[in-house]
Amino acid sequence: MRKGTSTRNIGIGIAVVAVFFLLPAFLPRFYVYLISLMLVYGLLATSLNIVLGYGGVFQFHHCVFYGVGAYATALFLTKTGVPFILSFLAGAVAAAVLSFLMGIITVRLSKLYFGMLQISLGSLVWAIVYRWYSFTGGDDGIHGIPVPEIISSYNGSYYFTLAVTLICLFLIYKIIKSPFGSALQGIRDNPVRSGMIGINVKRHLLVALVIAGFFGGVAGSLFVVVDKTVFPDMLFWTLSLEVFIMCLIGGWFSFFGPMVGAAIVIALRTFVSGYTVYWALVYGIVMVFVIFFLPNGILGFLEQRAKPADEKKLIEKG
Amino acid sequence: MDTGALLFQKILSQIFVGLSRTTILFIVSSGMSLILGVLRIPNIAHGSLYMIGAFMAFSVSNFFGGGSQGFWMALLLAPIGVAILSLITERGIFQFLYKREHLMLLLLTFALSLIFGDLVKLVWGAEYKSVPVPQVFHGHLTLVAGIPIPLYNLFLLLVGPVVAILLWLFVNKTKMGKISRAAAVDRDMVGAVGINVSRVFAAVFVVGCLLAGLGGVLVAPTVNVTLGMDHTLIMEAFLIVIMGGLGNIWGALIGALIFGLAQSLGILIWPQFGIIFPYAAVVIVLMIKPTGLLKSTW
Amino acid sequence: MAVNRANLEVEKGEIVAVIGPNGAGKTTLFNLITGILKPDEGRVFFKGEDITGLSPHNVCRKGISRSFQVVNVFERLSVFENVRIAVLSKNRMCWNFITPSAKLLGDETERILSSVGLADKKDSACSDLSHGDRKVLEIAVALGASPEFLILDEPTAGMAPEETDRCIELIRNLSDTLGLTILFCEHDMGLVFSISDRIMVMARGSTLVQGTCEEVRRNQAVQDAYLGGDDYDVS
Repeated sequence: MRKGTSTRNIGIGIAVVAVFFLLPAFLPRFYVYLISLMLVYGLLATSLNIVLGYGGVFQFHHCVFYGVGAYATALFLTKTGVPFILSFLAGAVAAAVLSFLMGIITVRLSKLYFGMLQISLGSLVWAIVYRWYSFTGGDDGIHGIPVPEIISSYNGSYYFTLAVTLICLFLIYKIIKSPFGSALQGIRDNPVRSGMIGINVKRHLLVALVIAGFFGGVAGSLFVVVDKTVFPDMLFWTLSLEVFIMCLIGGWFSFFGPMVGAAIVIALRTFVSGYTVYWALVYGIVMVFVIFFLPNGILGFLEQRAKPADEKKLIEKG
Repeated sequence: MDTGALLFQKILSQIFVGLSRTTILFIVSSGMSLILGVLRIPNIAHGSLYMIGAFMAFSVSNFFGGGSQGFWMALLLAPIGVAILSLITERGIFQFLYKREHLMLLLLTFALSLIFGDLVKLVWGAEYKSVPVPQVFHGHLTLVAGIPIPLYNLFLLLVGPVVAILLWLFVNKTKMGKISRAAAVDRDMVGAVGINVSRVFAAVFVVGCLLAGLGGVLVAPTVNVTLGMDHTLIMEAFLIVIMGGLGNIWGALIGALIFGLAQSLGILIWPQFGIIFPYAAVVIVLMIKPTGLLKSTW
Repeated sequence: MAVNRANLEVEKGEIVAVIGPNGAGKTTLFNLITGILKPDEGRVFFKGEDITGLSPHNVCRKGISRSFQVVNVFERLSVFENVRIAVLSKNRMCWNFITPSAKLLGDETERILSSVGLADKKDSACSDLSHGDRKVLEIAVALGASPEFLILDEPTAGMAPEETDRCIELIRNLSDTLGLTILFCEHDMGLVFSISDRIMVMARGSTLVQGTCEEVRRNQAVQDAYLGGDDYDVS
């Protein structure tokens, strides 16, 4: 039974990847760009979910790592002659280092107090980026960032984004399913008990924060590849809350929940704003609806519905 | 005049600027702190209510001809308008969700802030609005060391303490305030002795939001009333509340003072990075005392 | 101050009970031993080593494990996963980022689950278990850390009588077959006197007396303070 399900899942996975691979052949440019964006935000939301959904950490200002990753890559590309791939990695490493430094300060606190100190630290980083004209371009940001030709076209950046996102999702999935991930979920459910069975809770969370920051940074660097720009709003707290919302809408106890949530939010924003300037109104109403009726998100809801069906089948077979 | 005296003068006038800003920050964040302390809602929509207060002030002031009379009517009516709006929100949405986790409430208020933001756009449009400073507050007063202070700023400096005292009276001397303080500590206990907790919560929510509206009205003559003024303010108010101690109104006052003065003096010290001083102040405070300067109700 | 002048000694292989009225400081004492609370004064020794003030995870690594009075498990995980986390942690595998947990230590987890009688419910969600099963799972998680010294905080609280019997059987079994040293607190005096080698009586944070069942039963101070005369089954 279990083996059958896993083969089926692998089959679905291959089919989905194949569809994503073939999409640019059928879709207009704009949609290819849009899906690239969905992948970027999906990766960002998934990276947040490592600590949010699996670690139970209120990481209110996750976008700091996204923004810092993007800025680091952008600055390396515009100001140095470092090869692209190193610049790209520099973004993720910078985000991970920042995450480590912030984590040392915040990890001793729990829940809301963690979130608040984290958001203050994040706002400080934002303020510095926002004002340091000579280095970061201040509120103008940096535009026209040179990206190697092969991945700067619409399709090129799409395939690059797809490949990096898939690799990252695979790694994150491995981490979640590893003993490290199991212990992390234990800490989420019960930090005191986790300590009592021999897990060093603080150190474990700190490492999880660094991992989340790292992948958040990768998402930021990917945005540079897709959009060739960076701007200080990437580190503003409103974007962090939006990424939070992506996890919520998709479902933060489901691995693909944040991906789904990100796709929904991006689609909503793009298509509704095509019809009306009041897209935030629609977006807000959708959020209220989800909070009221789907507290586990869309995927969480579907999984709950699917579960009794499986059990029913078992009973029938038995 | 020698440079020392000039510098002193500069610092003093920046302090006055900071103190006027502190007043606005205090009024808005004390309302937020009240709601956070009693209802446990980290209300991001608080900033939207502040913005709506400012826009309402514009409309009311226009309706009454825009002069001094307009301003006073705005000062009276706009906070009431915001209070009514908040009552509808509380009864319509929040009262069903008090048992949910903070995270959900936080996200819900974020959703509301998006909705309110667009409603403002719908009603008032996307252009700048301005509310004139009333006639009586035109001009300056020279108090100390030859620094001219705009009369309106002096007015703000008077309003701040008045609001603080009224709020203190509400929380400590009225029955509603006493019940709400008890409910902040132990909600079930208050319900168990037969008090309608839900109604108390509604009242506290409305008072808190009224303060947001009042802050909006008071700030209106000094700034461009515009969309997006909610986002800059709400984070500042949030940080002030955290810094002061969740739910502690005097904490909000101290937090607002630190934030306002760090902001105004920071600009003097290092113009380009003035903006980082208040954030740095918050970080330093929280690193030393993660639960805020004064005792929080949590 | 919840606990002062408490003095407790447990010999290897013993089953020792701590009894005392509500608020006597039994749970606080356990929290002090396991590092959840840090004592202002006094020392905690384990196998001759001073473990005072160690953090909980380090106390656990020394071989001390405990269950909690209120069920304190990993609510979103299955029964099997609950125990496996403890086993993974015991085997120092929590820093493994690569191997899927599902492929690790399944046998050991399985063995613990069947030793406590939860093997048939291993795939259930914690929230679907009966109260009695949850209390047993609580102990199973503690066992996952393979302790030498096991502390049980009111293992049978809230259990139905037949569940209590099963729990007594379980505790005896742990002592006999695994040779565990067990310290527990309990309100059910029948249980306490039937399985304990020795008993420590606490009142208002202090040790009243420590001795064999017979000594405790005969002690006048205990009878006055706690047992209330001849009838010791006050709970």
